[in-house]
Amino acid sequence: AMAGVVRRLLRRGLGVAAGPPNPRQLRETEEAAPVFQYAGKAARRKDRVFVWGFSYSGALGVPSFVRPDASWKKPRRIQPTPYRLETEEKISSAACGYGFTLLASNTRDITKVWGMGLNKDSQLGFQRSRRDQTKGYEYVLEPSPIPLPLEKPQQTQVLQVSCGRAHSLILTDSEGVFTMGNNSYGQCGRKVVEDEIYSGSHLIHQLKEFDSRVVQVVCGQDHSLFRTKKGTVYACGWGADGQTGLGHYNITSVPTKLHGDIAGVNIIQVSSYGDCCLAVSDEGDVFGWGNSEYLQLASVTETTQVNVPRHLPFKIGKVKEAACGGTGNVVLTEEGNVFVWGYGILGKGPNLIETAVPEMIPPSLFGRSDFSPDIRVAHVRCGLSQFAALTNRGELFVWGKNLRGCLGTGRMEDQYFPWKVTVPGEVVDVACGVDHMVSMVRSFT
Amino acid sequence: LNAAPGRAPRQRVRFLPAPAPGGRGAVELVAARVPVLADHPLVRGPRFRKLKIGAGHRLDVKASGVFVLGIGHGNKLLTDLYNCHLTKVYTVGGLFGKATDDFSDTGNLVEKTTFDHITREKLERILAVIQGTNQKALLMYSNIDMKTQEAYELAVKGLIRPMGKCPPIITAVRCLQFALPEFQLEVHCLHETQQYLRKMVHEIGLELKSSAVCTQVRRIRDGVFTVDDALPRTRWNLQSIQEAIRNCQLKVETELEKTLG
Repeated sequence: AMAGVVRRLLRRGLGVAAGPPNPRQLRETEEAAPVFQYAGKAARRKDRVFVWGFSYSGALGVPSFVRPDASWKKPRRIQPTPYRLETEEKISSAACGYGFTLLASNTRDITKVWGMGLNKDSQLGFQRSRRDQTKGYEYVLEPSPIPLPLEKPQQTQVLQVSCGRAHSLILTDSEGVFTMGNNSYGQCGRKVVEDEIYSGSHLIHQLKEFDSRVVQVVCGQDHSLFRTKKGTVYACGWGADGQTGLGHYNITSVPTKLHGDIAGVNIIQVSSYGDCCLAVSDEGDVFGWGNSEYLQLASVTETTQVNVPRHLPFKIGKVKEAACGGTGNVVLTEEGNVFVWGYGILGKGPNLIETAVPEMIPPSLFGRSDFSPDIRVAHVRCGLSQFAALTNRGELFVWGKNLRGCLGTGRMEDQYFPWKVTVPGEVVDVACGVDHMVSMVRSFT
Repeated sequence: LNAAPGRAPRQRVRFLPAPAPGGRGAVELVAARVPVLADHPLVRGPRFRKLKIGAGHRLDVKASGVFVLGIGHGNKLLTDLYNCHLTKVYTVGGLFGKATDDFSDTGNLVEKTTFDHITREKLERILAVIQGTNQKALLMYSNIDMKTQEAYELAVKGLIRPMGKCPPIITAVRCLQFALPEFQLEVHCLHETQQYLRKMVHEIGLELKSSAVCTQVRRIRDGVFTVDDALPRTRWNLQSIQEAIRNCQLKVETELEKTLG
């Protein structure tokens, strides 16, 4: 009788024999499985900021690199690969100076610009110290808001920022240009005050008198360049190498219009980082002035200092963008080709150290091949002795002297030809400094 | 094979006695070419009793495509071809929405996810990243000092290739077809296994915040051998094999010369 009960139970299926699952069972379990959703149809790509390079100046904005939060952790002097920096707002523009960084967002909130790094000349404005309310911080380790004296803080938007050796410029859409930092050569656009103490200074100067709205600001080492909507260029600051382009080698403390070969020419882009300056016109011509000790302007003149803008007659096609470094220059043409000239590691192997005439970097180094023929370089940027190129696929290629790990390749050696930096995202823009770099990246999905 | 006319038997010069002119019974030695008896087919037996066949790069049970075999002396060429480190091309088919334990569609289900947010653009972006990281791996494993002019020139021409042991490297990926939930990729790779390709499909699914399984792996090119040279099952007979060997001989020789010098 017991056996009969057990057999009936078995037949009813309560004690199903577990054999190999047949296809119908498999399909049924599959269909019954729950479906997970990780990203909805309207999932947006996120905007992120990645930093790498020398961190002890605080320019990377990660305080745990300089002052570790746990006693067993060691301070990180160099960040050799891209490290994500958490920011409160989406950063639209960034600039790296000599040991400090400025990040700006085009938000309408009150806090629009953040700064980190060296602040010995108040290039990041006045950062009130928490220990002593009267003094300011000399090193800012975290992105700290910079208070700007705006008339309409909830309507004005910051368009662009730029940093030089010890001064910085902030461009707004309706309130002109704000300058902060060292003014011993008049680079902030105001009169030089003798024996002025710049450390812990609250002074932020506002510049409004230009012939039309300023659309681009560029900082050289100790001079500033302003480009207006009409295509004119203004300059102020140190001029001993002729980098102000005003026809003399003296200091200028008020932004003055440049003439020379660019008089009457509609300039669409200006660039400078050291003591040499380049400007690109809407017709694709390149003009240069400033220091020429490294053959940057040797194609037009033998002198080592040029104080009036001169047209550089290069036959490389229509130029779209130019970037100046400390000793080398790079331009990008309409076809997407990159040309370099000057002195230093130019990107064509260890044998090319200096050239006065632009040399093209083969596009195969940026990934162009028969398999992917439509890769083009979209932007070029320069640090003091490094170059960076962004392709239309969002890849970042760097080359040049690897000073304190600023190239971001993960190695400490110099890079003699373009090398891709592994960034987890599509690189939208990059800012190069002396020993660190900041990039704005969009995530993939 | 054994029925085909074999080598002609070797000839030997023998001095055979032949009747001399003049004189009964006098013999003189005359040189004549005589076939060696040891080469006679009845003495020697069938020419081929077994054949040495070697296989080229491995091909999975679940995968299909070009599979290179070497016969007899061709086995030596096989090792040379392996040392050339030429790229292989696969078409990999994938399906979004499922994740299984062995990365193919016949495994046990691990997870099901939605995939309607995936677009061709996103997939191509991920493929670009894969290519970029593998490009770096290519340069790193090729053991060339980056600081030399030689390294620069090789990088310009795109000829840097790892000539020694290295992990699987993908030199190029391209999306051939994209029709949710299915997609097809063309992958050029070195030193890979088919399971690595299936794992890559799974990882692409993860990157796109969904999941993917691999439905098909088909090798369409192995070094110099393409699908056009390959013999399908219907043509596995002596005639076609001999013809195929003859066609490929020249290609293999030129490739070996170019790479190994």
